[in-house]
Amino acid sequence: MLVLAVDESRCLALCEDGTGAHGSVEIALVAPVAAGDTLLVHAGTALTRLQDAVA
Amino acid sequence: VKYVDEFRDAALGRTLAAEILGAVEPGRHLKIMEVCGGHTHSIYKYGVDDLLPTNVELVHGPGCPVCVIPMGRVDDGIAIAREPGVILTCFGDMMRVPGSDGTLLEAKAEGADVRMVYSPLDALRIAKSEPDREVVFFAIGFETTAPSTALTLKRAKAEGITNFSCFCNHVTIVPPLRALLDSPDLRLDGFIGPGHVSTVVGARPLEFIPADYGKPVVVSGFEPVDILQSVLMILRQLGEGRCEVENQYKRVVPYEGNLRALEIMAEVFALRPHFEWRGLGFISHSGLRLSDAYADLDAERRFAVPGVRVADPKACQCGEVLKGVIKPYECKVFGSACTPERPIGTCMVSSEGACAAYYNYGRFAREREVV
Repeated sequence: MLVLAVDESRCLALCEDGTGAHGSVEIALVAPVAAGDTLLVHAGTALTRLQDAVA
Repeated sequence: VKYVDEFRDAALGRTLAAEILGAVEPGRHLKIMEVCGGHTHSIYKYGVDDLLPTNVELVHGPGCPVCVIPMGRVDDGIAIAREPGVILTCFGDMMRVPGSDGTLLEAKAEGADVRMVYSPLDALRIAKSEPDREVVFFAIGFETTAPSTALTLKRAKAEGITNFSCFCNHVTIVPPLRALLDSPDLRLDGFIGPGHVSTVVGARPLEFIPADYGKPVVVSGFEPVDILQSVLMILRQLGEGRCEVENQYKRVVPYEGNLRALEIMAEVFALRPHFEWRGLGFISHSGLRLSDAYADLDAERRFAVPGVRVADPKACQCGEVLKGVIKPYECKVFGSACTPERPIGTCMVSSEGACAAYYNYGRFAREREVV
């Protein structure tokens, strides 16, 4: 999912999926993240940040 | 969509299929197990197996979280849901898994307050908004889902939310793989390793497969090009006499995993001495419970849970499907008494289950062959 905005104090990010739907995602496991990052999200939690260099 | 479209490129898929044809040893029948239910789903959805030579067989593994939940644990969940004042929350596909006396969906129809959630955090939000009710999260899944549950329990503790608890059914991937490799029923030549579990645990825990059993492993992404490339990498290892863990899914999987997730899981969970798996029986150190530090949030301590072992229905062959011993269509009740609308076994429930994936996609190709 694409990160749109980050709330660092609550470890949450507003993200957009491939269909354009928005959702709140837990980012404690991958922080710090920034708007524009792409995250792999499972059950509402980001598990990793996708890496362009090796994609 | 970035990271998706390029891995569904048909021309690239055909190129890889041609390379696979060139890499496979003629006359040798190879069995490659895809561990993860997500791979099984993609293989059938995109017809990946149709692109492989006939002597390269994909065998479906036990990595579908819903499929491995035994009937007794479903009964335990229903018993909790029927407790006065309880809201039981779970993922959508878990609601349709049959126990010995119906499903959570049927319990809901009979009056139990069972609610579908997309994440454990949703369950915690319900607990905050309904402070007079007991909210229980029916946690299932491998190491991919366990960090999300762990983080939610940490939040519940930190925020002092006492009406929230977890019925923990999380499992780990390595013990069932070892059990399969020790099984005399199955001869495998290599493994398509679990992509998303490896995001958390890394690829290192799979090193026992080449080291102890002499089988190559390639951790793979879930798009058709990912899977084809992974099959090619396995064939190249076999052809070159190599045997190691390779990571095809580097854009997502760090070889060491997510250390922060592993730390949090170690804090919140502890290994059970043994845990029952549907079709595989009891496997030592394969299931997670809440650690003593989180015992106050453990639904199994908060509620009376029957904890009775229930045998699978005799007609159901999910166990053999989960072990890769038979194909879904070889089950006696596949597509007749057991369908996605009215499943008898777990493999027909979840979209990641081999039977459901095959029913939804693969059976059409087979019907053409039969005709």
